[in-house]
Amino acid sequence: MNMRCGKAQEYLSRAMDEALPADVAGKLERHLDACAECREYREDLQLGRRLLAGTEPALSENFEWRLQLRLSQAMQQAAADAYYPWDDPRADRKAWFRNFGTAASVGLAAVLALAMFVGPAGRTGSGSVPATVHSSAAQVAVEGGDRLPLDITRSPGAGLIGSGLQHPVSVGNLQAGNSGAFQAPRGWSGERIEDLLTIQQLRVENRKLANQLSQYEQWVNQYRAQLDRADSNALDLGEE
Amino acid sequence: MNLSLDEHRYGSPSPARADLQDVRDEELIVLVQNGQKRAFDEIVARYKGRLFSFILRMVKDPSLAEELTQETLIRVYIHATKYREIAKFSTWVFTIATNLVRNKMRQRSRRPHLISLNPAPEDDEIPVDPADQEADPTREVQREELAALINAATAKIPEKYRIPFLLREVDQLSYEEIQQVTGLKLGTVRSRINRARSRFRQLIKPMLRNEDLLEELEKIEARAAAEKDNEH
Repeated sequence: MNMRCGKAQEYLSRAMDEALPADVAGKLERHLDACAECREYREDLQLGRRLLAGTEPALSENFEWRLQLRLSQAMQQAAADAYYPWDDPRADRKAWFRNFGTAASVGLAAVLALAMFVGPAGRTGSGSVPATVHSSAAQVAVEGGDRLPLDITRSPGAGLIGSGLQHPVSVGNLQAGNSGAFQAPRGWSGERIEDLLTIQQLRVENRKLANQLSQYEQWVNQYRAQLDRADSNALDLGEE
Repeated sequence: MNLSLDEHRYGSPSPARADLQDVRDEELIVLVQNGQKRAFDEIVARYKGRLFSFILRMVKDPSLAEELTQETLIRVYIHATKYREIAKFSTWVFTIATNLVRNKMRQRSRRPHLISLNPAPEDDEIPVDPADQEADPTREVQREELAALINAATAKIPEKYRIPFLLREVDQLSYEEIQQVTGLKLGTVRSRINRARSRFRQLIKPMLRNEDLLEELEKIEARAAAEKDNEH
């Protein structure tokens, strides 16, 4: 017996999967001819395979219905995710950084703007007050040293409006231009409306499927109950 | 998917699906990519049993196994466009299933174990011992009971051996396919399957000489063969 049993049993496993080279298979056969223990091992492995195949579990009766329902929900969720990317928590994390950057930029710009208006006030009696600031409140600021002006007769935004921005931003583009054509607000497109319709359709379909599933489950329960009741007198039918 | 109630009740394939029965898996998924939902029905019909069988023997809980089977099939549908025919379709499907199972088992192992005041035996502790069967020789060994014994034995194989073992024995994937699904080396796949078989044999050894059980197994096989003939 050239081959040891441990090696033979390893080869037996591969032979069961038809993955043993022919020359090794020949040696294995010779070993098996002479070794009852390994022959028994082979029989056990084959029986184990039969047992696994013979006891395959069965799925529940309504598996496909529930799959269909879940698939519909998943499609709805996928459509919603595509439409509302901000619901994605990963996107939220990125948005936080982006928003923080924007907020920091706006804050810095505001501080700089304020410094331009108020900056000279810090320099008491320096005589370097810009010519553009003529209000009495500004004078108070100048006199009061580090106090901020409480009332500036001229709105800080007025200069901006005067220098080009013709209407408040909150009004949007609806007043702009004389073409009279409606300009959709930023962020809207025809495709997205279609997406909304798809979501709506999926919701309707989803409700329909949920109803069908519920009816089907009722039917199964009724049938089971009928079967339970029918057991005792089912054999009477054969008498007629 | 478009299953009518009657179709589901009686299990008869619709004519459209019958046309797809000879189509290869790899061609079916291309049809799914092109929006043909009937092709997906055929994929579900082909894979639901194999997936459930594999997943149940990994997670042991039937309702969780069904949930993960559905999740696998949903992912196949939603990500159908990501499939490229560089790997066999079955390899792709079982890779999805294996990853889902692993994640679920990892989540479970992280959960704290609660100590019950009335401890019930865990599945692992259920003895795989046919002595009970032998104690009452008149009792017929039912398929469910046999399945429970086999599942209990399978569950005792350590996870790293069980995955390649089940992929081979239950789902009939080749060594190369199992290598792709698990990411293991070919030699490791072979040796893990061999060790799992050896362990499984040790676990079921006491059952193997039980005449009732073998008789029941033969009945099950005869029924399965008859059902297969009826299908054809």
